[in-house]
Amino acid sequence: MVKTSTAIQINNLSFAYGAKQVLHDVSLEIPARQVTAFIGPSGCGKSTLLRCFNRINDRIPGAKLTAGSILVHDIDINRTDIDLQELRRRIGMVFQKYNPFAKSIYDNVAFSLRAAGRTKRSVLDGIVENALKNAALWDEVKSRLHASAFGLSGGQQQRLCIARAIANQPEILLMDEPCAALDPLATLKIEELLSELKKQYTIIIVTHNLAQATRCSDNTAFMYLGKVIEYGSTMQLFENPKEPQTEAYVTGKFG
Amino acid sequence: MSPEENPSDLAPHRFQKRGFSYERAIKYFFASNAGLTIVILALIIIFLLKEGLGFFPGYQRELQVYRIAGLEFVDISRKNLTAHEQLTSVLNRAYYAEINGRCIKQMRRSQEASALFNAYTDQTGPTRDLVLNNSQAASSPNSEMLKNLKANYEQQKAKALASLTATPHLTQMERRDLIESVRSRAVNDTDDPLFVTTLAEEFTAAQHKQAEPLQALRSTIDSFSSAGSELSSLVSEMTESVIATKEKIQGADILEKDRKTLLAAASGAKDPVEREKLMTEARTSLADKPDVEGPIQLLLEHRPDCIKAHTALRDASTRIIGQLPSSLTQLEAARLLKAARHSWPFFIADLEKTPAAINAWKPDAPVPLTDSISSFLTGKDWVTGGEWQDFYGILPLAAGSLMISIVALVLAIPTGIGAAVYVNQFASPWEQSVVKPIIEFIQAIPSVVLGFIGILVFGTVLRDISLWDSLQWIPGFPLEERLNIFTAGCLLALMSIPTIFSLAEDAINNVPSAYAEASEALGASQVQTTFRVVIPAAFSGILAAVLLGFGRVIGETMVVLLVAGNRIKIPDFTAGLGTFFQPCHTLTGIIAQELGEVPMGSVHYRALFVVGILLFAVVLTINATAHRFVNKMKH
Ligand SMILES: Nc1ncnc2c1ncn2[C@@H]1O[C@H](COP(=O)(O)OP(=O)(O)O)[C@@H](O)[C@H]1O
Ligand SMILES: [Mg+2]
Repeated sequence: MVKTSTAIQINNLSFAYGAKQVLHDVSLEIPARQVTAFIGPSGCGKSTLLRCFNRINDRIPGAKLTAGSILVHDIDINRTDIDLQELRRRIGMVFQKYNPFAKSIYDNVAFSLRAAGRTKRSVLDGIVENALKNAALWDEVKSRLHASAFGLSGGQQQRLCIARAIANQPEILLMDEPCAALDPLATLKIEELLSELKKQYTIIIVTHNLAQATRCSDNTAFMYLGKVIEYGSTMQLFENPKEPQTEAYVTGKFG
Repeated sequence: MSPEENPSDLAPHRFQKRGFSYERAIKYFFASNAGLTIVILALIIIFLLKEGLGFFPGYQRELQVYRIAGLEFVDISRKNLTAHEQLTSVLNRAYYAEINGRCIKQMRRSQEASALFNAYTDQTGPTRDLVLNNSQAASSPNSEMLKNLKANYEQQKAKALASLTATPHLTQMERRDLIESVRSRAVNDTDDPLFVTTLAEEFTAAQHKQAEPLQALRSTIDSFSSAGSELSSLVSEMTESVIATKEKIQGADILEKDRKTLLAAASGAKDPVEREKLMTEARTSLADKPDVEGPIQLLLEHRPDCIKAHTALRDASTRIIGQLPSSLTQLEAARLLKAARHSWPFFIADLEKTPAAINAWKPDAPVPLTDSISSFLTGKDWVTGGEWQDFYGILPLAAGSLMISIVALVLAIPTGIGAAVYVNQFASPWEQSVVKPIIEFIQAIPSVVLGFIGILVFGTVLRDISLWDSLQWIPGFPLEERLNIFTAGCLLALMSIPTIFSLAEDAINNVPSAYAEASEALGASQVQTTFRVVIPAAFSGILAAVLLGFGRVIGETMVVLLVAGNRIKIPDFTAGLGTFFQPCHTLTGIIAQELGEVPMGSVHYRALFVVGILLFAVVLTINATAHRFVNKMKH
């Protein structure tokens, strides 16, 4: 594992939806400016873990941290005095199903900036253009920035969501199976984009696609039944797994 | 279909369909139900159209008679006369508002004292009458009974004295003295208490005093009022003669109709003797064509007089506008004067145009069918059952319906949508489980019960509130009518809030939670998420909710019939916002009120059907538009 500074540190985290305990004693250290992948069978808690990092799980009634802590750049994000809006501005998120708002392309990208109170048109113009360029979408949409986002193809809509998530220059980017709803070609584009983005951002990606994890990620965590079974550099985890369960999973014996 | 495709021509095979399957029967059952509703809807539409469309030719004939008999000619002058009367009345109202405003204190004191006394006599009146009537010698009073009646009276008296109206402008002492004097009244005392009469006299004296500086205005108004007398007598003279002509024509019309019925019966009769009898009868009942030429010529001879009267009135009016003061000191008086001054030039312009109209009028100009249609759609009068002329113009009804809807929607849209947004986005689960059923429960209140509440509670309370001194700046206060557009609008708002609330809440609820989640993940607060993402996404659904609420309001009948005040007149817009406190009638209310009383098949009856068709079309359009919005949201 390539050791750099730590972006997120997870200590003995347990998490439950109401009475249903979903994560058990999870501990991880996620390095900055690298791509970390979460893999594991459906329902093992990958999304739940990811959604703890920006506390978007707070929206779900009954969802709560039952033990442990999460430190983002050494700050416990479950402290009572955390400004959630500010936290989420620092940690962007891209969802499994692309979900642009029923607004124009421009307004989608500018959304987080406007929500943060930045409304000056000349400033927004530059940031929107930059974000779209970083999301490799600028050339395809520059002539129709004010058309509805729903006119774009699925892959384009997902890249728009990425542009939207990075417009406010977050430090960390969370991606929950960003390619699950896309065709192979669109997937390829997003993967290319990832290798560009990791120069600037710490990226955590949940994926079902093992090939994708090997192609894009530096580190991989294998989860099973709410626990992290094995965590290490991607190469090591896939080629030389320490745990028998990991081996069974990466060789396709179950999943 | 070629023969080899027809299954019955083929040899039986393994997969042969046999008999009438159970599944098919079920399918037909549901298909027939769906079909039935469509057939019924079609029948309703056909019935409405059949009854309604006969209105236009019937109304055309009525308008024809209106012209031939010369009523139309008289109305040219009458219209100006009415305008003159209205202006006079506005000026008079301004005059009294000025005087009463200047002695408002005395007026209030007098009003409150007599209101208190009247409340007392209203309550004790019946028991008091019983005592009085039975204690006369002639009715051989039974002492036991008399004692009971007296006890009853005393009891009622005590009750009445305990529940007297408030008198904010009387001092504590005055109030106590007044109540004492009422308490110690003899049973058979018929005079008002001294205090009440004194206050009334004080008020009259104050009025006289305030009238002094306004003498110039008084005489100006009087001279304006009398400037119309020449025209007025001319109009009443002509009125008599044209009514006589009209009755003759109508009589002939009825005979003609009877004759046609007889002829139809004759041609249908099988027995030759019978037929011959009917034919003769028809021939004898042939009406002589009524003479309309003579009376019309006589009428037209009035032309120069009419023109002269109009010119005189115009000259007087032009002179008098210059004599009116430019403003008055009391708010209401100044407003009325301004209204009069505003409509004055229109009045004079109308007078100027009249001579030409009088000269151009022709009794024999044709009345095309389109006239009856346009007179229905744009007519400013809905007058029925009068002896002059019936008019079926829907503007007063449409204006009433519209103004009530405006009030209702202005109140219900913010409330309904606001409640929906709150309940769906911000309320705790506990609040949701309480608020939602309560709002939806309003829908379960029968509208006639709401009407009751409207009349008895809301109307009365509103009126009492409108008497408060501190609210006199509100236009239209104090209310002249307890039942008005505003009360009806408030109740309809109450009825449409659940509709708007439920549908808007659904629309907001249907916004995929992924939107809200994405928005919050981007650092938007909950309020920002609601207003920038959720509501815009639910916008067309919310619009549909508003439209359906509007449909509910405009189609509602019971409440408006009970609470709108039912005055068939285009509201007087000179009152500004106070217009909303005037009574009105509505498209729905008029049908409910009049349909039971009109003779079947009459023009009036058919007119109500046309109103029904119109309502049907409006509500249908609203619903269709709403559905378009709902569908748009699904995509
Ligand atoms: N909102 C929720 N309420 C209750 N249980 C949930 C909720 N979301 C997920 N779960 C449960 O938590 C477990 C983990 O889910 P998730 O994190 O979505 O798994 P993964 O993303 O690995 O497929 C599953 O058993 C799932 O049923
Ligand atoms: Mg998942």
